[in-house]
Amino acid sequence: MTEEKGVLVDITRCIGCGACTVACRMHNKLDGATEKKAGGREREGGLVAGRWTVVNAYDVMRNGEPVRRFVKRQCLHCREPVCVEVCFARGLAKAPDGPVLYSGRRVCVGCRYCQLACPFGVITMEWGEVFSRVSKCQMCYDRLQEGLAPACVAACTTEALQFGRRDDLLHEARQRIAKHPDRYVPHIFGEKEVGGTNWLYLSDVPFAELGFNTEVMDKSITTYTWKYIRKAPILAVSLPLVFAALYVYTKRRNENEHGH
Amino acid sequence: MAELERGEEQRREITRRTFLKLMSGLGLAGVAVLSGGCLKPLAEQVGGEGWLPPRYGTPDIRPDQIRGKVSINKDDPALVVDDRLCDLCGRCVEACHKVQSVFGYYQLPIKDEVICVHCGQCALACSPGAIRERDDTAQVEEWLRDPSKFVVVQTAPATRVSLGEEFGLLPGTWVAGQQVAALRRLGFDAVMDTNFTADLTIMEEATELIKRVKGECPQPLPLITSCSPGWIKFCEYFYPELLPHLSTCKSPQQMFGALVKTYYAKVMGLDPENIVSVSIMPCTAKKFEAKRPEMNSSGIYWGKPEIRDVDAVLTTRELARMLKKSGLHLATLPAEEYNSLMGESTGAATIFGATGGVMEAAVRTFYFFVTGEAPPPQLMELTPVRGLTGVKEGKLTIPGVGQVQVAVAHGLANARVVLEAVKAGQAPWHFIEVMACPGGCIGGGGQPKTVVPPSDEVRQQRIAALYEADAQMAKRESHENAELAALYQNFLGHPSSKLAHELLHTKYYSRADKLVRVEPAGRS
Repeated sequence: MTEEKGVLVDITRCIGCGACTVACRMHNKLDGATEKKAGGREREGGLVAGRWTVVNAYDVMRNGEPVRRFVKRQCLHCREPVCVEVCFARGLAKAPDGPVLYSGRRVCVGCRYCQLACPFGVITMEWGEVFSRVSKCQMCYDRLQEGLAPACVAACTTEALQFGRRDDLLHEARQRIAKHPDRYVPHIFGEKEVGGTNWLYLSDVPFAELGFNTEVMDKSITTYTWKYIRKAPILAVSLPLVFAALYVYTKRRNENEHGH
Repeated sequence: MAELERGEEQRREITRRTFLKLMSGLGLAGVAVLSGGCLKPLAEQVGGEGWLPPRYGTPDIRPDQIRGKVSINKDDPALVVDDRLCDLCGRCVEACHKVQSVFGYYQLPIKDEVICVHCGQCALACSPGAIRERDDTAQVEEWLRDPSKFVVVQTAPATRVSLGEEFGLLPGTWVAGQQVAALRRLGFDAVMDTNFTADLTIMEEATELIKRVKGECPQPLPLITSCSPGWIKFCEYFYPELLPHLSTCKSPQQMFGALVKTYYAKVMGLDPENIVSVSIMPCTAKKFEAKRPEMNSSGIYWGKPEIRDVDAVLTTRELARMLKKSGLHLATLPAEEYNSLMGESTGAATIFGATGGVMEAAVRTFYFFVTGEAPPPQLMELTPVRGLTGVKEGKLTIPGVGQVQVAVAHGLANARVVLEAVKAGQAPWHFIEVMACPGGCIGGGGQPKTVVPPSDEVRQQRIAALYEADAQMAKRESHENAELAALYQNFLGHPSSKLAHELLHTKYYSRADKLVRVEPAGRS
């Protein structure tokens, strides 16, 4: 059985060295030439085609003292990803062990549904290309298959990033909050957001001050749309039946009127 | 027959019924395609076709396996990092953690800044050149083109034995005269010597040592040297309780900066606002030191606080780049002399560039100040404090004072050994020299990257050249410097005078609120 993996990001342990971003660029071969595909358009938060992860610095106040915090941004790998749901070309897929994969470069039509659907704004498009396609974090799917942590996690010098089973990481996060209630805000970002994400964050500063979208709902977005979408098969079957019945009825009535 | 049928078909009207049939057929086909999908999921691998050093693919066995890279603030005054060049070799972390004991010696989370002493050892260790000094050459070139500016340059003791390496000469080749000639050809209006103020530092520091030994001032013993700005910031971060032990003397660079816009400006009849003071240093932390807010003594002297003592610091590597850009080949230039007034120096100043050198130079003048006689030969070759041992100790007997115990540490991890002893009150020493970089200034973070990562062999060759030059000099004690005597006579009065204190001495500030230390015992 495949276990659901995840990464725990402890913002209080990050020193902003950027080794994770370098590891990502090296392992995924995102060199300068790939960045040109971005066409110079950077998304809010610094992500861009060919730059799958970025570390942003935030100068904020904590207990009346100025602090500098670093936040690593990348795809959060939702457990029930909307981007996958909206993709009609099946270019995106959710792997059982966690990663949300953009695996369909050949079929992607560049419609940007996924980009608009993403609640965290992490999907970037290759605007520099004639036929622009998606560019996003793959959670190093290839390394996961070999039992290795994603490249960014392997390069982290301060253990701010931790890779493991999502359940274990949640347990670990809860323990850290319980052990140091003064150090952390009592919130694991990604535990419940949009139905849970495979990347989890701990912080000592409220997440809203660190550029996180905290206005997302706790339930999966698909649970809301499912209320309507699940009615589609009933309608698909019942409507033709209704119209067929009406057709038969009107035909008979016409025959009766004209024939006799 | 077939033609007839086709004709009929063409003539057939598109009724509402056929149109709906057509549409529903297309719709069914669409639904079939959508539900079937164009391909199976995970059919194509995206990403992961690159490379990572092998240690990033093995289970974590930190701290034995050094990996990653160091963190450098975006607005760091001394260092910049270009992530595109980094290949995660981890040597910078190794230098920062093992050699300098900075990385990993403060608790997480950090406060409002990344802890860095700007020593530049990471830049020396970086083989792809991702970590570099902040380049100030463009600003200096602009000043050199400006005819209204009088650009003065000072050269540190350690660059004259290393600059040649950038031009293919062996480590330790003596290029003092060629360096002067090269700087003149670059357009500097006056080329003078940091060694001059190194001698001045000795005069002030030896006076301070005598005062402390005799108990004439409130500051405690041991006296610790203050010439290395990386070490100063380290002390402010990690050992704020030892700040009273630091000599109040500024570093030679800042003494020079303070004097060039006061003493030199007065004697030469120059407007201090038109003087630009540039220094050539083996050090990246000097860039930080020059930008410390309190380093505007000359500005305060003239009542214009915006005047900075040192306007720009260029590392040895930056100077080499400027020379190459101008097509000047160092080895082919004739040796020239420094400009007078602040250009003379003694052998004592020359050895400032080597670990133990400040100590040795201070001891010579200390002996003279106490006894009024020239020091004996064993004090002129103070072998216990020479060499590349991490912590060196020596005992000297000085008539009138008795036994004086000294210690020398280079590399901040070595310094910790000495500092912990001082903190615990177990230090037998009267005088301690600390240099941030291994080998002293000759191993500074701004030096040519002749061997990457830096090796003791190269350090040794540079140090040997300095001691050889010292041994051959006619004047080997700081108090013999004639231009220095003129400075005291015409301007400062005497060592440790009121004016000397205003221009040549400084204060230190605790940075303890910037971090939470990791106590050595509890370090993981």
